[in-house]
Amino acid sequence: MYKSTGYIKNILSLSILIMFLIICLFVAVGIGAVDIHLKEIMSIIFLGENTDNRVILMDIRLPRVMISAVLGAGLSAVGGVMQGVFKNPLVDSYTLGMSSGAALGAVLSIVSGIGIFGYATTGVFAFLGAVATLFFVYFLSKTKNRVSINSLLLSGVAVSYFLSSIISFMMMLNRNKIEQIVFWTMGSLSSATWQKLIFSSSFILPGILVLCFFSRELNIMSLGEESAHYIGVDVEKLKYILLVICSLIVGAVVSTGGTIGFLGLVAPHIVRIIWGSDNRKLIPYSAIMGGAILMLSDALGRVLIQPAEIPVGVMTSIMGGPFFIFLLKKQKTKGA
Amino acid sequence: MKMDYKIRAEELGFNYGNKEVLKDINFKIKAGSFISIIGPNGSGKSTFLKILSRYLKPQKGIVVLGEENLKELSKKEISRRLSVVPQNILLEFDFRVKDIVLMGRHPYINRLKGETAEDIKIAERAMKYTNTLEFSHRLYNELSGGEKQRVILAQALAQEPGILLLDEPISHLDLQHQVEILDLIKKMTIEEGLTAVAVLHDLNMASAYSDYIIMLKDGKVCYEGEPEKVLNSTNIAYVFNTDVTISKNPVTGKTYLYPISTVPKKIRNVKVHLICGGGSGLELIQELVGNGFGVSTGVLNIGDSDWAISRQYELDIAEETPFLSITQKAYEKNLELAIRAHCIILLPIYFSKANIKNLELLMENSLKDKTIYILDDSNFQRRDFTGGEAQSIYNKIKTQPNVVLLEEDELKIALIKADEKNV
Repeated sequence: MYKSTGYIKNILSLSILIMFLIICLFVAVGIGAVDIHLKEIMSIIFLGENTDNRVILMDIRLPRVMISAVLGAGLSAVGGVMQGVFKNPLVDSYTLGMSSGAALGAVLSIVSGIGIFGYATTGVFAFLGAVATLFFVYFLSKTKNRVSINSLLLSGVAVSYFLSSIISFMMMLNRNKIEQIVFWTMGSLSSATWQKLIFSSSFILPGILVLCFFSRELNIMSLGEESAHYIGVDVEKLKYILLVICSLIVGAVVSTGGTIGFLGLVAPHIVRIIWGSDNRKLIPYSAIMGGAILMLSDALGRVLIQPAEIPVGVMTSIMGGPFFIFLLKKQKTKGA
Repeated sequence: MKMDYKIRAEELGFNYGNKEVLKDINFKIKAGSFISIIGPNGSGKSTFLKILSRYLKPQKGIVVLGEENLKELSKKEISRRLSVVPQNILLEFDFRVKDIVLMGRHPYINRLKGETAEDIKIAERAMKYTNTLEFSHRLYNELSGGEKQRVILAQALAQEPGILLLDEPISHLDLQHQVEILDLIKKMTIEEGLTAVAVLHDLNMASAYSDYIIMLKDGKVCYEGEPEKVLNSTNIAYVFNTDVTISKNPVTGKTYLYPISTVPKKIRNVKVHLICGGGSGLELIQELVGNGFGVSTGVLNIGDSDWAISRQYELDIAEETPFLSITQKAYEKNLELAIRAHCIILLPIYFSKANIKNLELLMENSLKDKTIYILDDSNFQRRDFTGGEAQSIYNKIKTQPNVVLLEEDELKIALIKADEKNV
């Protein structure tokens, strides 16, 4: 039966992906202002040896690389899910304004100095910003119980611009905090710590698991919302759950690393090209792929123009922008 | 017995905002039958189907499946009882055929366990039944329209429903695939005991496949019943505002409709006046109008079938009250129309004292320069109910130099020649 052969193929694909992730991890940990060789990495991590580079590796590189893996995974899983929910390959947390909303939330908490949730305040604000923006964009593009994808994209872009200009305005008013704010808008992992890793992972990793849990329903959604309804899927509830989880993940990502653009768009597409659009594979594979890509992008950003650092959000946008245009063009020719 | 009915609706009413889309719909559908819902655009067919599938909730009335009120069933319970096949499904992200068919098992699948061997067996059977198993590994978007629709049918079948609702399932397919899909659905109703309810646009397909037809107009059930009873020209004219003639498919014996177009193929300059009545002119009127000739008729009794078709084509008619002898006024109108025409055609009509003036007309001096065509000269005697009076007039007319006796096919050639000369 085709099920068993598919099973073996799945395990094989998954192993290859995880291998790829591990290789990327070692590369990303190894390169930087100081290059650390694989041998040394191994001996520090597994044998606990106390070499010159131990502090760099354990306190700076490793948490940073692992955070980039987690954030990349979160953004890419969210991108894949949102493309499925809206049945459009051009959608991700960035194009729908969620990332800008989260950034605005984070900036608001920094500027106002509110600390009601203690350490997590910025994270909570980022999450609320993401949710509020998503629902606002969704509401804007909803006419008579239907959400047109074109108006969804347009309102997403419009709201995104609007929020970005508010962020710029706040930067103007709060010149003393400008560096902190720029961090959110450009996306940077330079302040990574183990604490941040634990904080973001505790939202993002369970979030990805929940998204995987709904992958079968998401597959059925590809037939169209009406058809999905006829097969017994509670479409409105499903969309609601998925979008809230997505907002949660995006909020956690943005509060940790700022807005990191295009990754959520690109990673699922690479997976689609290789493994197809079955969400049962797409979501976990995109997560791994996205984690690997973000680790590499951040590592590249660290070494390309030393001693300066390119923020990771800038790196992903530089690489992802052209890919987005390529997709748009491809879709246009398909539609014609 | 109550259980004989698979779907029952009572006093269904539905509005979109202020617009009343369906009103007071009552019907019962027997298990294992193929029902077609027909009606013009905007008559509420699709809304009706969406209410049966509980995609839309009616403001009034109830739908009962077997003995269960649709309202009290959960989404999954409903999808185990009925599946819906839409016009066509477009996928932005492509899936393999087998995955799409397996999606039909969703109402039975436990989220934690995933699909079981049983689910796969049922999906395979559905694919075998619809002849899609051979391309079960192909991607959906690479298939042809007919293949896609078969895959969707396989998915619907994998749901193991008792009822299949179809919303214009063949409207984007070519003839071969239309027949293929409808054959398949019909087969399911016969072999699997499925009850199929289909919204169809093609009335002849509805006639060929349905056990029962429900005709909607303005959100109401206008007519319902067996196809040969419901599909007649009066009902069609009322519901679709279109004139049709009805005959039978020579092979299957099913009712077949031919729409009548009132737009002529060509405009001609020749005007023809017809002396007809009692249905003798039906075919010739349609033929002449269809070929672009100017046509007038007379003297016809109001209500006569030739009169009715003349009215339909908005021809000039010399008319007379039913059962009355032709009055002087009608006679003069008839003469006037004949003078205006280029030629006059006498059809094989029956003559009595009441309409003998139609024959006398042809001896008028003012018509001496017009060609008079007489169709079907044979057995005039049997059409004469005047005791020989008509016969003697007829014999005189035949001796006139402007009279031509001919058959119908010769007539058309003669008229076309006349038209060419006229130009």
